Amino acid sequence: MSWFAEVWEKFYKAFLEKDRYLAFLKGFATTLEVSFFAVILGVALGVILAIAKYMAANHKGCRPLGWIANIYITIIRGTPVYVQMLIIYYLILTARGIPAIISGVLCFGINSSAYVAEIIRAGIEAVDRGQMEAGRSLGLSEMRTMKSIIMPQAVRNILPALGNEFIVLIKETAVIGGITVLDVTKVAMNVGNSNYAYLTPLLIAAFMYLAVVIILTKLLSMFERRLAKSDRR
Amino acid sequence: MIDVKNLHKSFGDKLVLDGIDEHIEKGEKVVVIGPSGSGKSTFLRCMNLLERPTEGSIIFEGKDITAASGKELNRIRQKMGMVFQHFNLFPHLTIRKNITLAPVKLGLMSQEEADAKAMELLSRVGLPEKADQYPAQLSGGQKQRIAIVRSLAMNPDVMLFDEPTSALDPEMVREVLDFMKQLAEDGMTMVVVTHEMGFAREVGSRVLFMDEGRIVEQNEPGEFFACPKDVRLKEFLSKVL
Repeated sequence: MSWFAEVWEKFYKAFLEKDRYLAFLKGFATTLEVSFFAVILGVALGVILAIAKYMAANHKGCRPLGWIANIYITIIRGTPVYVQMLIIYYLILTARGIPAIISGVLCFGINSSAYVAEIIRAGIEAVDRGQMEAGRSLGLSEMRTMKSIIMPQAVRNILPALGNEFIVLIKETAVIGGITVLDVTKVAMNVGNSNYAYLTPLLIAAFMYLAVVIILTKLLSMFERRLAKSDRR
Repeated sequence: MIDVKNLHKSFGDKLVLDGIDEHIEKGEKVVVIGPSGSGKSTFLRCMNLLERPTEGSIIFEGKDITAASGKELNRIRQKMGMVFQHFNLFPHLTIRKNITLAPVKLGLMSQEEADAKAMELLSRVGLPEKADQYPAQLSGGQKQRIAIVRSLAMNPDVMLFDEPTSALDPEMVREVLDFMKQLAEDGMTMVVVTHEMGFAREVGSRVLFMDEGRIVEQNEPGEFFACPKDVRLKEFLSKVL
């Protein structure tokens, strides 16, 4: 058998035989779905954390908020996402009959929020202090200055980093098979189990991740170029 | 117009202002000079409460504002324009928006009124054609003139200048000082922290010399520069003149 025919047969067995590509696509869709909802949850929680940290840094009365946010962020960033996922799955949610995929979204959303909070905080801090002072000296309130002057500038720093966080998140969800969710990695393992051949299905899964990451990276750099262009005005 | 009483300010355990008593009349042009680290910028920033005094009080138009906060503080600041060393224009907004943002958001003018005011002020500084450009497209001197215009759009009662020409290339200092001189001639009350001795002599109605957090000497500019009395002032002037 020629080399090419051999490769084709392996690929056929792993991807086409018994309509396995459907399982792959479904798994891939699950991966994207989990990533998408996790990123939304992550941004929502991250914004709340970032506000807490901002308030704590600028208002003495809000310091406890900052402590809580810091403890949360330290724990989340200091423990493996796989362990966090198992804890959420086994201890908190299975008992109440909530689907595993929800555990997954919650876990990755919570995990991502710690990183998103830091991205937002850094983005706000990167805006020159003088901008707040200029706004306040004109008689604008802190909230108004934040909204009209600081945030529009901070968003330019935040969005590219947020895109990177999304890419990291997509790859991290590969461990979600550990709580019985059939994502593309888990599907690849299942196919491997039934064929006693793991390499080809795993390569197929890897290719799918790579494809989506490359596409997102391209979109992101296009987006960054547009931001940079408006900076040169 | 502004009364400063027994003003002290510390950052941590570093004492920056060590008891300042000063009275600024309506229409006065007070120029504050002194070596770096003497507390002159902090003194200025305490007047509109960008820095909170550690002790003492600020009285503005007859009202003690030292403890003002929230809406009251915002209303006071509308009446005190501030010009910064680094301009602090809003880079994401056009010049027109930079000028009109505050009066419109604060409900003092409609967008049309504010736009008209902006154009009138821009014409006055000779930059009407810059209205739709962004700060990054302007030279330093143009930026600072726009920053002054931005403060003027609020119709302030007093203007505070924090080293307005220190960040400028030498050839741009003149255009900013000329505009400030015009303002002074129009009767604006001004407090100016600066290293421009020529401006102090020419425009100031009173010159204050600060060192180590105190006002060491003050006089009308002629006398001030002709026969300084304090040793530190003499030393300072010998270095800068």
